[in-house]
Order: sequence, then C-alpha cells, then structure tokens
Amino acid sequence: MKLAAFLSDWRRTEDTLERIKADKLGVILVGNGIYHAVVKEGGKESPVLSKAGAVFYALSDDLDTRGYTAANVHSKVKVVSYADIVDLITNEYEKTAWL
Amino acid sequence: MAAVRLLFIVQRPPYKSENPRLALTHALASQTAEIYMDDGDSVVPTVVFVGDGVLNAVKSQQAMKTYGVTSTESHIKGCLMTDVPIWVCKEDMERLGLKEDQIVSDAEDMGGAEISTKFVSFADIQKEMESVKHLLFF
Amino acid sequence: MAELTIGVFSSLVGSMSLDFSFRLADAAMAKGHKVNMWLSGNAVMMAKKGQKAFKDYSHNEKKMMELIGKGMEITVCEACAEARGYHKEDVPQGMKRASMDWYLAKTVKTDRLLHIGGE
Repeated sequence: MKLAAFLSDWRRTEDTLERIKADKLGVILVGNGIYHAVVKEGGKESPVLSKAGAVFYALSDDLDTRGYTAANVHSKVKVVSYADIVDLITNEYEKTAWL
Repeated sequence: MAAVRLLFIVQRPPYKSENPRLALTHALASQTAEIYMDDGDSVVPTVVFVGDGVLNAVKSQQAMKTYGVTSTESHIKGCLMTDVPIWVCKEDMERLGLKEDQIVSDAEDMGGAEISTKFVSFADIQKEMESVKHLLFF
Repeated sequence: MAELTIGVFSSLVGSMSLDFSFRLADAAMAKGHKVNMWLSGNAVMMAKKGQKAFKDYSHNEKKMMELIGKGMEITVCEACAEARGYHKEDVPQGMKRASMDWYLAKTVKTDRLLHIGGE
C-alpha cells in the first residue's frame, strides 16, 4: 500500500498513524498538523516524526499562517505547496487517509 | 464493470460530532448508489471502529429518549440489516475496558440480520486497508 | 490527467479544512486534473448563496464559484442541507444537491479520493 496520510491536528490521531503500516508512507502535515514539524515539546521532537519509513511533508501556507517558516521546520520534513501535494497524491501514492 | 470496495474507518467517539454517524449513513447509501453508476458497477462498504471510535458501538444507547435523535446504535443495526459489515477493533476494546457483551452485535430487536458484528484485530483492519480501493476516515 | 474526488465534512467557520479543500482543488485543476467535490455534514454551509466576506471568517464562495466555472463538479448532501435550513432556492448556481449515494458512486471511477471526514 502506498499511502499519503494527512495529519491536520496537533493531538489526537497520532495513535492511528502509529499503527498503520504501508510499503510507502507519506505523512503530509497540514493545518495544526504542522506543529509536529516545528514544536519540540519538553525539548523533544514530535513522536509523529519517529514513524519508521515515513517521508514527511508540511504545507508552506499552513506554516506561514501559524508564524513559522521553512527555517523552523525539522530537517526530516520537506516543505511543500498545494501544487506539490497534488503531485504527491496523484503520482507518488495510491491512497489517501485524512486522519 | 467494477465492484469497488470502500473502508469507512471511525476513530472518534460519537455524538459530539455527527461525523461518526455520517460514516454509517454514507455506508448505507451504497444500497442506492447504483442509480448514479454505470451498469454493473457497485460499491461495497465495510465500517470499522478503531481507537476511541469503538465507543460508537457500545449498546443500549438512549439518544432518541434523551435528545430525540436516532442513536448511532440504530445506524449500526441498520448497516447489519443491509449486509454492511461492522468490525470493531479488539485491542481498542480491551484498552478501553469494553467486553464483547457491551457492544452492539446484532439487530435482533429490529427484525434480525444475516450478519453480526465482527471483533477483529488491528492486523485484520490493516489487511483490509491494503485491499480496498479507498479509505474514508471519520 | 487524473480524477480527484474530495469529500469534506468540515464547517465553513470553525475549521480551515474547507479552505484547504478549495485550495487543493484549485491547484489540481490548474494542473489539468478533473475534480469532484462532495460537501456533507457542516460543510453544507457552502450551500447558501450570497455569503458576505468578512476578514475575521473564512470565505470560500468566490473561489468555489471560480472552480465551478472551470468545471469542478460540486454536490452537497441534500438531507444535511435541509436539516440546517438550506433549501433548494439557496443553492449557488452550478452546485447540485443529492443524497449520499452520489458520493459513493463517484468513488468507483475516481483515481484518488481525499476524504476529510474527521473533526
């Protein structure tokens, strides 16, 4: 399964993501999900970023909206545009899951 | 001609939001979707409750009595009566202290159904996620 | 080119997921993809024409009308709309109303489904 999983919340749905397995997994951080890419709670990165084998993306508009820039984003996370997300879900992944 | 399999995955508790219930009503709509499809096409839904979403399946819901709205339990039974499979994640039931006899398992009080609720592991749900065409998380 | 179907259940005000959906639809159509959109639950707030733009609230009607003009197919859940007092005469031009089976039927042919069902 090639899955693009969207996280739009800062809390609550990480446990679902933790359990899902995919041959190819992209985690697209949108809305309040971008906090996983920029906040280090208690000095620690978000557990979401430790999902094994996943590739991480964060939507630039939603970073900007919340006062962050690409410079704040964890090195594991690639900053993407809406157009990039279209390419990801149409070319790189077969299914989507808005968690 | 295609029979497209869909997995409705409910991961949030009921009532605060109507969305978990909409998973059930949308799954039920598979019965009439043919009017919009080419001959021979069909959609085949399964509804799965995972995470805190298993709380949707607790039986003896009194939403009609208290708020005058159809209970999520009734919609689950409606699905069972129309052969829409209902799965509940065993690990999440255990985590939340729920036993099988606390879960809606049949629709006998609504006239009976051919199928009953299945209690499954997350590994079974994972397999289903891999085999269906689309995932619909609620 | 692909066909993308977006199902949204989020409210116009109180969530940014509808804003996300219209921007994603716009980006997809700009690349030549076909986009269908299903609005259910609180997302049927879009089924009321004449929405006034205030800077403190999300405003998507203008973008939605642009996308309809470019060929996006958009349908709202009729029962969800009626339950909220949005009637047939309220619907913006080009938007359809149907029951949930319309959305299910779209899943058969669409290449990708992005279902935004949780809030």
